[in-house]
Amino acid sequence: MVEISGKEVIVARGVKKTYYDNGVPVEAVRGIDLTITTGEFTAIVGPSGSGKTTFLNCISGLDDVTEGKIWLGGKLLTCMSGRELSDFRRDRIGFIFQAYNLIPVLTIEENVEYVMLLQGVPARKRHRRVNAILEELGLGGYANRLPTQLSGGQRQRVAIARAIVSNPAIILADEPTANLDSQTGAELLDLMRNLNEKKGMTFVFSTHDAMIMQRARRLVVLKDGLVAGDEIRS
Amino acid sequence: MLFKFAFRNVFRQKRRTLLTILTMFGGFTLAALAIGLADGTYAYVINMFTRNQLGHIQIHRESYLDRPSLYKTVDHYKTIGEAVGRISGVEAWAPRLYSAGLVSLEDKSSTARIIGIDPVRENTATRFDKKIVEGRSLSGPAAHEVVIGRGLAKVLKARVADEVVVVSQAADGSIANDIYNIVGIAAAGDDMSDRTAFYLHLDDARELLVLEERVHEIIVIINNIDYVYKITGDIREKLADSALTVQPWQEFARSFYQAMQVDLQANLIMLLIINLIVAVGVLNTVLMTVLERTREYGVLKAMGTRPLMIFRLVVVEVAVMIVISLIIGFILSLIINYLLATTGIPMPFKFSYGGVEFTRWYSEVNARSLYIPGITVAVVALLVSIFPATRAARIAPADAMRTN
Repeated sequence: MVEISGKEVIVARGVKKTYYDNGVPVEAVRGIDLTITTGEFTAIVGPSGSGKTTFLNCISGLDDVTEGKIWLGGKLLTCMSGRELSDFRRDRIGFIFQAYNLIPVLTIEENVEYVMLLQGVPARKRHRRVNAILEELGLGGYANRLPTQLSGGQRQRVAIARAIVSNPAIILADEPTANLDSQTGAELLDLMRNLNEKKGMTFVFSTHDAMIMQRARRLVVLKDGLVAGDEIRS
Repeated sequence: MLFKFAFRNVFRQKRRTLLTILTMFGGFTLAALAIGLADGTYAYVINMFTRNQLGHIQIHRESYLDRPSLYKTVDHYKTIGEAVGRISGVEAWAPRLYSAGLVSLEDKSSTARIIGIDPVRENTATRFDKKIVEGRSLSGPAAHEVVIGRGLAKVLKARVADEVVVVSQAADGSIANDIYNIVGIAAAGDDMSDRTAFYLHLDDARELLVLEERVHEIIVIINNIDYVYKITGDIREKLADSALTVQPWQEFARSFYQAMQVDLQANLIMLLIINLIVAVGVLNTVLMTVLERTREYGVLKAMGTRPLMIFRLVVVEVAVMIVISLIIGFILSLIINYLLATTGIPMPFKFSYGGVEFTRWYSEVNARSLYIPGITVAVVALLVSIFPATRAARIAPADAMRTN
């Protein structure tokens, strides 16, 4: 029996994930127990193939688990229907991807407001919120541009704006700095750290970027699909 | 947002979109032309048969058409004709009298179909005077004149102003015979009829056959052929005579009508083939699009987009292309059909259909030629988009985002 308090955002117990690569079973996650609490700035690190991205996909409900249980915001993910999971991701999780994954035909403003649109937020409120976030992230003058008209760093800022715009319980970032130069990467990390400190937003990264490891306040090390280390820093 | 998103997506791959739109509007235009040309040709043939020869509605004595006889007559034809002429939608009527006879000119003779007509009424109803290719039409009052068919003139080696002798059987059982002056030679457009046609003034024919106030047929011409069944009903009601049969052209020219219906079925097969081409074209493009945007659909799902919305997004994209295709197809089909309706297409060879010779294809501008292709192309394109749309909606986000 797992007891979940209000402060725990993610609780993973005995999570296993096996997928098949050309018919060959691959045990990507082999039994992870992990708890993430509100306001954490956690990096899940490990070499390629250690199961970082797979675990991130499992805790966000993007992928099914083979075994084990995951609670996100007190709700058991494995019991949710497809529609419930969609709504849950929409309302409770923000995603930042390595390749930005902005919708190329939507403007920056439309990309950022997309989730709020799905939530049915009224246009005026949406517009106000999106403009405030874009200003805050230094993208004030780019609202009507298309993603292709921005640099990589600017695109990732838009991705961050999109992830935080609806105040989700947790922001999951998969290798967010991998496609950026070190200076831009550092700037964005400072930005996210700032959001974490000032607004108490919870960030979980999967990375092998040393810069993120330095700035993270908790470092979870994965090796061969298992937690090999868990260090909380001051 | 969904519409905006879909609309912009449509123009992401301009070349592919153009190809899909070309497939759809090409299919639409082809189908519209096929229907327009078929309808135009049928309208032309129907017009040739009804307006110029048979009339839209015919009145006979019961069973006359099944077993024609000199004695199965419509009595008091003037009273009946005048009553019919007062019915709304009736443009003209004309009485006719038929018999067979032997026609001779010097040492030449041939069988003939004696057709007694009222030249004034016949000119109004079936433009009889326009069929005269040599000489003139019959005079208003009876004057022992005859107009013979071109084929018959050839057999008899007859010319205008020659005198011909006709022998037949009269209604009183006597031998009917008389001499008539050829005043004209007619070509009705039907070689078979022209080979035997022997047109007499109705009064001369009645005198020859001793038929007094009786005729065998009253043909009725109406203003709008689309109301033929309604006006037939009105005439039946007005006459209220069980001894008379009142039939629309679809009934008295049943075999001709059925042949046209068979042709229409063949047209449906063509429409099916066109739609199959549209279906394959659209399916191919939309599947390619879904495959190409797998990652994007994965991202949308990761952000909380429900599968139904992704399904709708793909279908709306196809719908946007359908609307564009239909607008272009509608305008283009209208222009081409109009041009073909006015100028026609010359046929590489002449052909006969029901005795009428055709040299050009004519199209027709009508609602049918636009709404049938419009609906079928739209329905087919939307139906084939269901499969790729379902596929897009079912994409597993984690798998989708692993694709490049």
